[in-house]
Order: sequence, then structure tokens, then C-alpha cells
Amino acid sequence: MAQFICRYRKGEQVRWISHLDLKRTLERALRRGGLPLELTKGYNPRPRLSFGPPLPLGATGDGELLAVHLSEPVEADELKQRLNRQLPSGLEVLEVWRVPAHQKRETFGQVDVAEYRIIVSNGLDEEELSSRVSDLMRSETLPVQRGGRRPEREVDLRPLIMGLEVSRTKAHEIELRARLKTGSHGGARPQELASLLHLDEGDRLVRYHRTGLYASAEPSKQRRGGLGRRWRRARSRRERSTES
Amino acid sequence: MEIKISTFDALLSRVTKPARYIDGEWNAVHKDTASARARFALVYPDVYEVGMSHLGLQILYHVLNSAPDFAAERAFAPWPDMEEELRSRDLPLTSLESRTPLREFDAIGITLPYELTYTNVLNVLDLAGIPVRASERGADDPIVIGGGPGAANPEPMADFFDAILVGEGEEAIVEMAEAVAEAERHEALERLAEIPGVYVPCLYEVSYEGGGPRASVTPRDGAPQVIERRIVEDLDAAPFPTEQIVPFLDTVHARGTLEIMRGCARGCRFCQAGATYRPRRERRVETLLRQAEETLASTGYDEISLLAFTSVDYREIQELAKQLVDRFGERGIGLALPSLRADAFSIALANTIQRVRKTGLTFAPEAGTARLRRAIGKQMGEDELFAAAEAAFSSGWTRLKLYFMIGLPTETDDDVAAIGDLVQRVVQFGRGVLGSRRSRLQIAVSAATFVPKPHTPFQWGGQDGREDLERKHAILQRALRGRHIKLSWTDPGTSALEAAVSRGDRRVGGAIEAAWRGGARFDSWGEHFDFGRWEQAFRGAALSMADYANSYLDYDAPLAWEHVSCGPERSALREEAERAITGGKL
Repeated sequence: MAQFICRYRKGEQVRWISHLDLKRTLERALRRGGLPLELTKGYNPRPRLSFGPPLPLGATGDGELLAVHLSEPVEADELKQRLNRQLPSGLEVLEVWRVPAHQKRETFGQVDVAEYRIIVSNGLDEEELSSRVSDLMRSETLPVQRGGRRPEREVDLRPLIMGLEVSRTKAHEIELRARLKTGSHGGARPQELASLLHLDEGDRLVRYHRTGLYASAEPSKQRRGGLGRRWRRARSRRERSTES
Repeated sequence: MEIKISTFDALLSRVTKPARYIDGEWNAVHKDTASARARFALVYPDVYEVGMSHLGLQILYHVLNSAPDFAAERAFAPWPDMEEELRSRDLPLTSLESRTPLREFDAIGITLPYELTYTNVLNVLDLAGIPVRASERGADDPIVIGGGPGAANPEPMADFFDAILVGEGEEAIVEMAEAVAEAERHEALERLAEIPGVYVPCLYEVSYEGGGPRASVTPRDGAPQVIERRIVEDLDAAPFPTEQIVPFLDTVHARGTLEIMRGCARGCRFCQAGATYRPRRERRVETLLRQAEETLASTGYDEISLLAFTSVDYREIQELAKQLVDRFGERGIGLALPSLRADAFSIALANTIQRVRKTGLTFAPEAGTARLRRAIGKQMGEDELFAAAEAAFSSGWTRLKLYFMIGLPTETDDDVAAIGDLVQRVVQFGRGVLGSRRSRLQIAVSAATFVPKPHTPFQWGGQDGREDLERKHAILQRALRGRHIKLSWTDPGTSALEAAVSRGDRRVGGAIEAAWRGGARFDSWGEHFDFGRWEQAFRGAALSMADYANSYLDYDAPLAWEHVSCGPERSALREEAERAITGGKL
């Protein structure tokens, strides 16, 4: 019995597959890799896998999270290599670490913050966007409608937006970095933010890339190898590498 | 990380299920096509999820891509939302793998799975920028080749294809690729016509002898008089793709497939597949075990399905099932037997081997009375049905599907009423066997409409008209009330179209084209089917749908598909038909 956590990338080639399809894809890759998956008991045994919060369809991400349970321990690096050999292009495991045996099953319930890069192409003025962003951040409430065709319900997005930052990356592109609440206790969707800022209007194209998932709460007890610490470490390493 | 924004992505962001249009699935082949002598686009004329569940497509893809000289990519019918995006931007339909416009391929291979996909065939050609009529294609256009079950009567689609292969394709496809590879269009067609099983419609003339499919097709320029269907002699040695493409999307059959047997030894008189895939051929147990091992290793599926018309007719089914379970059971691999027969043996087998997912079990008595079952050649007694039901209920199944057919030749209203009686007795019986669990009992009754199919003894029979079908449906509805029963039937309009195209001649192609131009697409999807549009299309082509669908044909009249030989001779079919209706006419 061994539990591993994988941080992986969902890249360009697979950004149009849904979360459900992604789950199946990873499950099949693990099976092709001949990894000793721990199966659930019962008539219809399934491998024990947990996934971090889903990415919106069309978005990419390189801080995506997966927990895998194996019936026999393997080296974390071996798991990473065996899995990567079986992944369709666009999917790549970037980092694997083993969770100590006494720690309970990881379900990523603590994950509540997501960071996105939102890239907008085709003629949007940087100053214009910056002023829209400051207006937005000054608002007290930002009601948005949810529920599609079903009876709509209203959600206030304002408390779910933790931070926004505008920068120009290329001549025809503007980038918005967004720190949003996510997870089962309510979260903001990056597309909702984009439409509040009128980013997706006209012939403009908008791309969403999630750079990381975090747990904002301090772990109540200091646990060795606890998720929060490990994520933060992974994050700071990544930030160092993007800065350099 | 560099983030790119492309026009294709802009398209994908606007359609449902964008994963239908991307490639990169595990085991998809990306071949360097520059050096290939012949490049094929293989098309299944329905949406991706349906097409990717079709084994034939995967076999041909595998055969062509395994050959050093040839290459194959895939394309499917785009859903109407994608079609609209493509048309509004004037973008051509492309292959999945290299996103190459279809018209740049040397050949387009299109499956003809059944009649209701035919408008999609025209739509795919049109979206690719290829003239839909073969006669309007020029030297630069790809050669459009058809094949599959629909080739048993190629006439309704004959004007849209340069060549149609009758029968099984895994051997012939290589010969066809060879013909396409070197030659110019005209010469390639001549070479194709020399390949056994290949029908090149433009080399034939049709003379009509009255309404409906009373027509004869005769060769010009030395083309063969009769096109003999191709069959693979040695199924065990035939190429089989164990590196099956693993779709991202949840397809109709998301599991590994083993083709254990081809053909059927039973002789149901309405069944076209039973006639055209003869004789029954089996793969050996050792071969199948090896293929199972390879398929599971290369796909990562957790279920493997044994494909056959009736898997329990496979001679060593018990041995095969036992070996598969012994080998893969512990790894959590399930085994599916999609085609069980209604007898106790089948249930016992299912019971011992299936990773127990007791979701549903399907039996096909086809008719309500023993007399009618005898007439249609269905070898199933009521005792067998009840024995199977008892075995199923006592081993935990609570849901049964029962398939019947309405409008069979010689059927009377009493035969229809007898379906109600039979089902009610199954319900009573089930309640008794299930005891305290009886509230879970559910019998789903499906009443399909009889469609007269070429090359079967019932090819001369007519389909019931709408009025008769509606009366029979009403009888069923009255007889099949009750909380344990769910009844469904095929829409009479859909059935009439199936029958009219199934027995169609070349003139029916004109109606198909008119219906497509009038907007018909995805006719097998209830939400897209519009019977009025089809009636108008047949009228516009000066044809009577009833002549093709409902009329009883004379035994001596020429039939539009008799230049195609699918095995049984006309005299043998007639004898069978007469045996069905002792002393009478169909």
C-alpha cells in the first residue's frame, strides 16, 4: 500500500478533453504502464484515484493534481517515468512524491485557490484593461448568473477573486494573472471573470492556463510531508524557474 | 510556457464535444505520408463516438498503416454545429491525424453501415469539396470507395461512388490501394474493376422494368457480369488490430474488442448479415488469448468484449471464457458477451464468467407465436425462453430486454397480440422466481419494424404500411400495460425510409441527394429525422416510396441488386421463402 501524488500538465493537445475523459485517459495510462494499482473491493473493482479540481474545457494547466494508490510501493521516479511513457502527447507528469503511509487518503479537499494566466489576443488596450480591473476590484459585489438552461441562480464573484494583475506579453496579446477561489466550497470560473471584464467579445480569442492549485489554510497540525507545505515548495520552485 | 491561439481552437471553443475533432488518442497512427504511394482517408459517416466503436474501420486503418507503402487517416461526419462553423468560414473537412483536407487524399474510403447514414456520406463529400456525383469528379479529385454492409445493395449509392467493395475488406483494401497508387483516375477505375469483389458503377448500365426495384444492371466494356462478394477464408490468420485506438471521448463501446467469430450458422430468414457473412468462421482459442493479452497491454482498457453475431455459438466458448477469466480476472479486467442467446446455457456461462454487472440481458424471440417464429426461421422455443429467464432471474438479473419484430411476412394481428401474452407470462414468471425482489423486475420490450433486405429469403416481401404498423403498435400498447413493462418501437417513417433505400435502385440515389440538399443529415438520430422531407424528395425524383418499401415483388421480376452475389442463389432464397409460407406467395 502506497500513496503517491502527481503534479501533471494538461497541455495544448488535450485541452479539449473533458475532466471525465481525462480521468479515463489517466486510468488507462496507469494500466498500460503495468503499475500495481490498488483496486476497490466489490463487484466492479476500480483503481483508487483522486483528482484535483477540474480544469474548464479548453484550458491548459501545469499544476494539475492526481493521487494514485498502489498495492506495492515503487520509487516515485519510476512511477513518473512509467506513467509518462504511456501518456498521450499533451499530458506529462512533472513531479511525483510519496505520501507517508500513516497519512489518510488524499482527496484534495483542502485545495481552495487556483492561479490562472488569462491570455487575450487581438487588440485590447493594456490601460483600458487595467482600469477595468481596478473598477472590478473596487466593486462591492459582482453578481453572475449560473445554471445554464435550468433555473438560474446568482453567485457573488467578488469574494472569490483574490487578486488580479495585468501585463502585456506580446504585441498582440495581453495577459491577466488571476488568483481565484476554487474547490467544492465555491469558486470563481475564469470564464466568468473574462466575461465580467468583456474580454471575450468581438473576434477576440481568450486562452486560460492554470499555473497552480494551492491550499490557503495553514495545516492545523504540522505534518511531515503534508500537502500544503509540499505544494508551496513546488510552487516556489516553479516561480523561481519562471523568474530566471 | 508558450500559449498559442489558433483558428482551429476558436472553432473548437464554439462546438459541443470538441474532442470529436481532435486526434492524439493513444494508438492513433501519425505516418509520414509524403513517402506513401497511396493515402487513404477512412470515413465513418456518423459522429465520432459512433464511428470509433466500429471494428471494421479500425481493421482497415491497421491494415493500411501496417503496409510500408500506404497510409490512412480518419474522418467522421461533423455534428451540425461543427458543419455550420465550417460552412460559415468556408473551411474544408479535414482528417483528424494531420488535419489534411480530405480532397488532398488519393482515396476516400467510406463505410456504408446502414441506410440512415447515407445523407451523411453526401454531406461529408460536399464538406470536403468533392463533387458528390462520381460523374462530375475530375482527375484531381480523390477516388471515392465505399464498402461495408450497405454494399450488399450498392445501387442507391452507386452514382456517388467511383467504386464499391462488396464483402469483407481486410484483404481487398490492399489490392485497391495498389490500384489507386500508380494510375491516373480513369486507369485506376479500370484496374479497380478487375479486382474481385469491386463494383465500378460507371461501367454498368441499368434498365428499369416498372416501379420499385424491378431493374437489371448489366456491364459495359467487359466489366464482370456478377460481382462476387469477398470473404476472408482464414479468419484466424486475418489481420487484427490489437493496437486499437483508445478514444478520449466515451464511445458506444469503450472497451477492447476480440472478434471471436464471423458469420452466423443460424438461418433467420429476415437477417441480411446472417446471409452475407456466411460461412461461419472462428478464430482459435490460442490466437484469441494472445490477441487479448496484446489488446489489453496496448490500450489499458478494463474490459474486453467478445464480438460475434452469437458469441455462445463459438464452439469453444466455455474454454475461451474460462481461460480469459483465469488470466485477467485478478487484474480487474471484465469480460463482456454482448450477444447471448436465450437459453440456460448462455445464462450459466454469463453467470460464471462475467464480472458481475447485472445491468441487463437481451433476448430476441422476434415473434410472439411458435408458428411465426418457425416461418421466419427463428430457432427458439418458448421452453428455452422460460428456462433462460428462470436461470437469469434466479442468478440475480432483474432486468430483461426482449426484442420483437413487427410486420413480418405472414404476420396477423393475433401474432402481434401473442407478443403481449408472451411478455405478460414472462412478467408473471419473473415475479414468481424473484419473490421478495419482484418490485425490481423490469422487462423492456422493443418492437422493431421488419425491413425486407436484399439477399435474404424475405427480399420479396413488403413492409407494412404506416396504417398497419400503427394498428399493430396500438395492439401492443394495449397488451403491454403494467409497471414492470417498458415498450418502445421504431418510428414508422424511419422504417419506411430504411425499407425504401434498402431495396432501392439507382433512381433512389436521386431521392437521397434531394433529401440531403433539402437538409437531411443524421437520419438515424430521431431529433434530426424529418419524414416529410423524405416524402418530398421521393416525389421530386418521381418515385413512389411505397413501391420500394411496401410492395411484394414477383419471384420472377429482375431485382436491382442481382448483379451482386452475396452467397445464396436466387433459387435457394426462393425455396426458403416458399418454405416459410408453405404453398403460398410471400
